[in-house]
Amino acid sequence: MFKNHLKISLRNLWKNKTLSFLNLIGLSIGVSSVLTLLFSVYAYYTADNNIPERDSIVYLKTKLKDGNEYREVPYPLLDKVINTSPEVIAGTHLHGWGNIWLENGEKEFQNRTDYADPEFFKVFGLPLKYGNQETALKEKYSIILTDKISQQIYGDENPVGKTLVAADTLNLKVTGVFEPISPYASFRLGVVLPNTLLKDNPTFISQTNWGNSFSPAYFKLRTNANITALKQRIEKLVQENYTDPSVIAGMEILPYSEIRTDIIPVVDTIIGGSIAASLFVLLIILVNLLNLNTSTMFKRTKDIAVRKVLGSSKKSVVIQFCIENGILVFVSIIISSILFLLINLPRLNDTFGPEFGRISFDIFKDYPVVIGIIAVGLVATLVVGIFPTLRFIKVPVSLGIKGKIDQIKSNFLLRNSFIIVQFTIAILFISIAVILNQQIGFMKNADLGFERNNVLVGNIDLDYKNLDVAKSKFNALIDELEANPYVKGVSTSQAIPSDYYFNYTSYYDAENDKDVRIRRSYADDGYFKTLEVPMVMGRNFEKSIDKSNGQPVIINEAALKAFGWTSIEGKKLKYKTDTGEGYPIVGVVKDFHYQDLQNAVEPLVHIYRDKNALERHRFLSVKVIEGQEKEIENMIASAFSEISSRRDYEQSYLVDKVSAQYQLIGGILKTVNITAILTIFISCLGMFGLISFMAKRKVKEIGIRKVLGAGVTKIVVLLSKDYIILVCVASIIAFPIAWYVMNAWLGTFAYSIAIKWWMFGFAGLIALLITAFTLGLQAVKSAMANPVKSLRTE
Amino acid sequence: MLLQLNNIFKWVNSGGQRIFLLKDINLQVEEGEFISIMGPSGSGKSTLLNVIGMLDGFDEGEYNFLHESVHTLKEKHRSNLYKEYIGFVFQSYHLLDELTVQENLEMPLLYKKFKGSERKAMVADMLDRFNIVGKKDLFPAQLSGGQQQLVGVARALIASPKLILADEPTGNLNSSQSEEIMELFKQLNQEGVTIIQVTHSEQNAAYGSRVINLLDGRMI
Repeated sequence: MFKNHLKISLRNLWKNKTLSFLNLIGLSIGVSSVLTLLFSVYAYYTADNNIPERDSIVYLKTKLKDGNEYREVPYPLLDKVINTSPEVIAGTHLHGWGNIWLENGEKEFQNRTDYADPEFFKVFGLPLKYGNQETALKEKYSIILTDKISQQIYGDENPVGKTLVAADTLNLKVTGVFEPISPYASFRLGVVLPNTLLKDNPTFISQTNWGNSFSPAYFKLRTNANITALKQRIEKLVQENYTDPSVIAGMEILPYSEIRTDIIPVVDTIIGGSIAASLFVLLIILVNLLNLNTSTMFKRTKDIAVRKVLGSSKKSVVIQFCIENGILVFVSIIISSILFLLINLPRLNDTFGPEFGRISFDIFKDYPVVIGIIAVGLVATLVVGIFPTLRFIKVPVSLGIKGKIDQIKSNFLLRNSFIIVQFTIAILFISIAVILNQQIGFMKNADLGFERNNVLVGNIDLDYKNLDVAKSKFNALIDELEANPYVKGVSTSQAIPSDYYFNYTSYYDAENDKDVRIRRSYADDGYFKTLEVPMVMGRNFEKSIDKSNGQPVIINEAALKAFGWTSIEGKKLKYKTDTGEGYPIVGVVKDFHYQDLQNAVEPLVHIYRDKNALERHRFLSVKVIEGQEKEIENMIASAFSEISSRRDYEQSYLVDKVSAQYQLIGGILKTVNITAILTIFISCLGMFGLISFMAKRKVKEIGIRKVLGAGVTKIVVLLSKDYIILVCVASIIAFPIAWYVMNAWLGTFAYSIAIKWWMFGFAGLIALLITAFTLGLQAVKSAMANPVKSLRTE
Repeated sequence: MLLQLNNIFKWVNSGGQRIFLLKDINLQVEEGEFISIMGPSGSGKSTLLNVIGMLDGFDEGEYNFLHESVHTLKEKHRSNLYKEYIGFVFQSYHLLDELTVQENLEMPLLYKKFKGSERKAMVADMLDRFNIVGKKDLFPAQLSGGQQQLVGVARALIASPKLILADEPTGNLNSSQSEEIMELFKQLNQEGVTIIQVTHSEQNAAYGSRVINLLDGRMI
């Protein structure tokens, strides 16, 4: 019997080649995108699975009175908390202190370097591929590698016990290799060293006081630990010990599971969006399959009736349908798996990889996704196999055998509620895409308050082998550039717009009794000239004056406003506890967007530093006259090729760096665009099937109308009118939802566009045009049919 | 006695009025009869045939089929009854397009859960009997109307029903083809199969042993 069903199914599918093909395309594309979205969600949610007892791990967050918050705490706090709190089982720091250079024989490499307490494994328990958790961080001169780095250095060998030379002097023994860590995990590790190693470092020692927050603190708590008591105790410790506890509003104890969204807040949007998108696409696929199945039903009613006459049970008819759809669904799952592995996954990695790391599919690890998609396939098969059949199976045999199903009447809107749902979703995505496109376009092209075109930016933070030689060669380059007629400005700085350090300091103005948290950076006298940022008060840096003039600073307007000053006459930036001279403020620059437009322009200060401080500046910026970029590029590159350094000199244009800030959101846009195209495409496939069904049902009506003199246009209108109305209804439902969603999202951008009616109009128009085109194809075909033929078949 | 209809009424309500499709039908059919139902379009011929074939219900009256009272039976029993005893032949053949001749013949047997070997034997037997062995792997669309109807009759016969119901079996055929089919019916009847056919043609009706005339749902 099953063999028979299978045979009939295959022949049926083959007979309706066009329809099956449409179905298969729609399904494959749809399922592959659902697979991709769900896989990334799955990868995200399971990324931290290798940390045992995650639920009992917490981290601290400091909240300041000015509204800012950060995860770092002063170094001594951790031990104090561990020693005083019965709730805490163990605690560890995990922080960077510059990425260390490692040598293995001739090869030199630098990786992200983190320092941790020996209790690290008691808190996080990250499994080791090689080595022992108990002893891995015990020895001062030990190092733990991630699996990836171990592979790079040692291949498949077990490196435990081998020695790496760090910073040319220290012999570090490899004591462990982590199991592979998912790139979506909350950890981004490279190598991990015991922080006992830093105790030899005088700078480090000088920083580990109560006034300096640079390391996050993680704790493992007992089950049923009293969080409130712990919080109160920690806040008390803060008040008792901090150098300046007055700025602290409070401490928060947050579960470790929240740290990822804390670090990259947009993750929530991406994950939520992915889940919503995959559900929607899934819904659309299902509806589509239902629509296309319904469209073949006209022919099928007769079939079903004949079968019933021949003695078939209803069950057997349903089974037949399920098998037919099952074949489609599972073939498309296979096709979409191939699409997923060959196209979608690499694309996903290209899009979100730079921010989140590349993920890969491993059948042994990720089999739940496979099981999940098969389960979804089964459910889909049952739904689309049973649902439409039930409606047609009820047709009395005596009617069905004549192919008369017009007797089953139902409400127009109800009958087409599927199409409305589909198009609502499709139009929703199109609207979101249109608005997001506008927003990103706005952010990329907005007036940022500085010149970004033709500004060549090179990284000069290259770890020079011989700094003195490098410096003299660099100075020669600077002189040459300044003398070059094609160069309009030269500057070296610690930061450039789009790449400022998160380096904040609170300064205090005794006069107004105001504390202002200001972002800090260092720049030379050419910085504002090169970027063409105008001064609103005071003067720009000047080498001749400022070189011997303490540390003059220039603040931005936001900082001026934050202090509540109207003039900078005699003003200085000072710490609250500072009794010294402070930094004299020599000028105020106009606010410029030094960070992306998702963030507001906050108080910012630039501290003067000489142009030739090669070892401390990170960037060389050169404003070039248009058309001469190549020549200057070559000139700088060749100069750097003669300076020996561990890292390579790279250069790019500021405009690209500014645009690159929007890479993540651009990735979201790309995903939304693809989803929008996909949903409208699949919806149209379904509608194409439905209208051919309608056309078949109306063959007689069309024939009669044509005999009575109706033209092709009239018939096309007759067939398409209803669907156009449906699209309009869908638009009316979709627009407010899109407005609500996007309004909320745009609210998270510091600078955003206003949503205009034409954006919805545009989205609706796109949907309408695509629909009209799809409808037209089939409607014209039916309208052109010879009425003599269609009337004769009755 | 094969079946008996007593005071059968069937109607539909249209615009507040009751329109009778069948009115007080009394009919007794003995085994081995060959009955032709005749009458103008809309006189209720097909409706009567559908009622006899249990494809359609009725609103009033009694229907006994081999001592079972059809009007009291549940849908499931009724379909078991017609599955077992009745074979249908249609004007437009109603073969399943995506199945070959052989598979079309096999279909009713599948639904009756015959074993594979039995099915093969019965199909081969039927192909042989109707001289269509050479066409067994063709699809309906590849056959002429007469041949399709031949397959239709063969399919109706394959499960050895007691009764064959034929709704204008020659309506779509030319005269020589229809003569062939009618000869076949005659032969089957002689072999003991009861046949009830609906027809417009006096010539076809003449093959039968009894003619029932219908007018406006009434026997005359």
